[in-house]
Amino acid sequence: MSRAKVEQHPATGTTLVVMVGLSIAFLLFIAFLNVVKSGNILSEANLLYAALVFYAGAGALYLGFGVTGTDSYIKFASLATWAGLIANTGAVAHRWYEAGHPPFASLYEMLLSFVWTLAALTLVAEKKYAVKVIGTVTMPVAIVGVVLMQLLRSEVRPLVPALQSTWLHVHVTLAMLAYAACALSFALAMMFLIQDKVKTETFLAATTIFTVGVYAAILTRFERWGGLNVVAWDFDNKGEVFVSRGVRLFVTIPDLGWLMLLVFGAVAAPLVLYILSRVKTDEGFLSLANRALFISILLQSLALVFFLLRTRDGRYPSLDAEGLYPTALAASPFILAALVGGIFANLLYLLLLWRRNDLERLLPDAEALDRITYKTICIAFPLLTLMIAAGAYWANRAWGSYWSWDPKETWAAITWLVYAGYLHMRITRGMRGRVAAYFAVLGFAVVMFTFFGVTYLLPGLHAYA
Amino acid sequence: MAFSLGSAVRKTWQTLSSVKTGVILIILVIIFSIAGTIILQRPTTDPDDMQRAYSPQMLHFLDATGLTDVFHTRWFVALMILVSLSIIAASVERFPNAWRYFARPYKSPDEGFRRVLPNQAQLPIGDDEQGLGAAERAFKHMHLKSERIVRPDSFSLFAERSRISEMAVYIVHASLLLIFAGGIIDALYGWRGFMMLTPGTAGSQIEMRNGTEKALPFSIRCDGTGQETYTDGTPKRWWSKLAVVDDGREISKKEIVVNDPLVYHGVRFYQASWGRTGKLEKLVLNAVPAKGGSAQEIALAEKQSVQLDPDTQVQLAEFIPDFVVQDGHVYARSNDVVNPAVRLIVTSTKSNNAVNFWLPEISGVAENQSSPYNFEPKDLKTGVFTGLEVSHEPGQWAVWTGVLLMAVGLTFVFYVVHVRYWVVPLQDPSGRLILWIGGTANRNRDAFERTFKQLVEQIQKELKPGSTAGVEKTAEAIPGGIAAR
Repeated sequence: MSRAKVEQHPATGTTLVVMVGLSIAFLLFIAFLNVVKSGNILSEANLLYAALVFYAGAGALYLGFGVTGTDSYIKFASLATWAGLIANTGAVAHRWYEAGHPPFASLYEMLLSFVWTLAALTLVAEKKYAVKVIGTVTMPVAIVGVVLMQLLRSEVRPLVPALQSTWLHVHVTLAMLAYAACALSFALAMMFLIQDKVKTETFLAATTIFTVGVYAAILTRFERWGGLNVVAWDFDNKGEVFVSRGVRLFVTIPDLGWLMLLVFGAVAAPLVLYILSRVKTDEGFLSLANRALFISILLQSLALVFFLLRTRDGRYPSLDAEGLYPTALAASPFILAALVGGIFANLLYLLLLWRRNDLERLLPDAEALDRITYKTICIAFPLLTLMIAAGAYWANRAWGSYWSWDPKETWAAITWLVYAGYLHMRITRGMRGRVAAYFAVLGFAVVMFTFFGVTYLLPGLHAYA
Repeated sequence: MAFSLGSAVRKTWQTLSSVKTGVILIILVIIFSIAGTIILQRPTTDPDDMQRAYSPQMLHFLDATGLTDVFHTRWFVALMILVSLSIIAASVERFPNAWRYFARPYKSPDEGFRRVLPNQAQLPIGDDEQGLGAAERAFKHMHLKSERIVRPDSFSLFAERSRISEMAVYIVHASLLLIFAGGIIDALYGWRGFMMLTPGTAGSQIEMRNGTEKALPFSIRCDGTGQETYTDGTPKRWWSKLAVVDDGREISKKEIVVNDPLVYHGVRFYQASWGRTGKLEKLVLNAVPAKGGSAQEIALAEKQSVQLDPDTQVQLAEFIPDFVVQDGHVYARSNDVVNPAVRLIVTSTKSNNAVNFWLPEISGVAENQSSPYNFEPKDLKTGVFTGLEVSHEPGQWAVWTGVLLMAVGLTFVFYVVHVRYWVVPLQDPSGRLILWIGGTANRNRDAFERTFKQLVEQIQKELKPGSTAGVEKTAEAIPGGIAAR
């Protein structure tokens, strides 16, 4: 949007800071009006709103730093992140106090804790390891998280008996920390690959493969006549509609499947063009691929908008039950996350495509990144181990069996094995550099599949997370 | 013959212990595990759902290869045993070396070692004693204990920290084997089943997962069970008061809830489910004489009779939890108490007349009009049961011990570094007396480089006070190659 402008006259430090400051002030003013109306300043919603405002400001500043490389942005960006983190901490504390248990019981509460962890890790990475651009990646994720929370049910839900255990909290906390460390190692490995002079088009291929995977996963819910199946939502009980125990009722949104199929084609196009450029060794296809990617981002945004609109209004038929049922965004958090994640990944690629030189200047050198990636995995691996152990102990107390090979457990074990493989290769075989970075990327892909894919695609006991 | 057998065994052993075999085995485990999460699995999935999901040929193939129950097939167990053997072989193969390293630390470095060591420095000194003394004080300053190594041809100083770190990886591997062993013990000797009890009853029969029955050598008595709900109706807590009865004696009592089982002789009883039996426990009624008069409250259990007046008595003949009327007969549709009906028989002794009184009044079968009493239901208590998951996992202690051991092992692997330092007084090629300082760490080498530099600086500082003027001039570290790794 403002790319051309930025390229011609790079905005000076003060312009952006002033702009961001003004918009924060404006949003806070709006929030203040709301507060005056509701009369409750420190409610969770207000705290969350404040966190959103500050994270958005921080995200804009980090992005400004990523694009222009103006160092002064960083100071204000971390200041905004601090402010957001304080508001976020307030929201977490409020939630904890009100619910009487740590906020890990529902998707909403997990997102709340996840965003908190993310902001805290951003500050740690920035202050301790001087990885300044990390906020460019983490802050948008945090913003998406807070926005998602606004759409999800937020009232305190009582815990079913199986979830009333300290071990559950231990298990989930460890999982959060382990996954955050894995995410960090992934981001660092990606930065290493940038510094290691991996060709930009290789990132194009990786980005499009990821997006194609995302849409392939969404299309598993493709229904005859071009509909898309989503879970029905019960607005009275604010929950999913169940046909029987553990079996959700799906409704079909007509024509949305066709749209997803179209976008699938659009996101596959850059990949096809990339493969053509490799096969025919013709650079011309590459610039075509980059253009196709630009179009695919537009279409993906269109898909997101239509998905938002179609799930919010109307009632839809179901194949399993008579009558029409409504649905809601809260019923399809994974599709929403997938759509947003796809767009986000593609935007990051555009950042790399247009600003590679600046990024290379800003990032730490390759050797340091390689080392920090390894260190992050050294932190992630024991956390993963303890997470699995705590989960097993909890399962043993709740269900009488510490290991029952349900898909979530099995995939957690697979994640563990992949990182164990990484460590063995690194320690005994001296694996370094690019191979190690690819391994770290693979590890995080498995983590993402365990976290999102298993719940969305595979059946299992882990109905709670 | 014997020779070829020996070489075959040796070959197998070598193959098993190689890293390549380990990696291939891990990849195989991953592939089959993924298959086990994608293909619907037998005991957990409904047979009907299986038939709906796969074509008959496909299902036959999957069943024949065991892919519908991957994690319990022989070949998956065989694969896990191979993995264990590979870990054992790899550990045994590498252990002696590591043990030698651990048991007999290398204390006086020879020339070849000194030449290739990446972290080293040289400081000029006046004499041996001055140099070694300064080094000793520097080690003390860093809270390291140093020892003087006196060999026929050399004289040096050695200091180290956390030698146990060299053994850490074996602790982790041993812990993994312990966990596997626990899993195998449970797969062979463990069992799982289900038991249903109603308050006041005792049982020792367990319905096993595979449909058979198992009798416990003791019995479990249920003294009460209940459910608490949140205001929105979702269950909050299920509890059961259980007692262990062994040899006719009551051994122990415990109120169990979800997440807090009862354990007796290695058998664990979990609160798994809770529900209503559909049987009547107590029915409270108001009996009002049809001709008018004061009402009286009565309580009835099934088949129980109560005298209402000297002439009349009432008996609770039948309780139907979920009734339906068809062709003039009343049937029970289910055992859930959703639509209950009761049949009372009101008998008068004088006229020897029995009347069927139905609550609610079911037209066609009820004779409520001719009853001398009318009844109003006041309270209905139906029976409840508690569903207990029973399991015996003798191997779980090995598993938990393994987990703890692994936590310790991983801590040592990642956060405890074996650091070694050597200090040797030498003559350099030009004949000058110098102090050679070398150091190494088994991991986290970049952090070690900084520590090593600090040590060298500390020794330099310790050298200064007692040093001669001539030395002081050249008292600067000669970096022998603090090469980055």
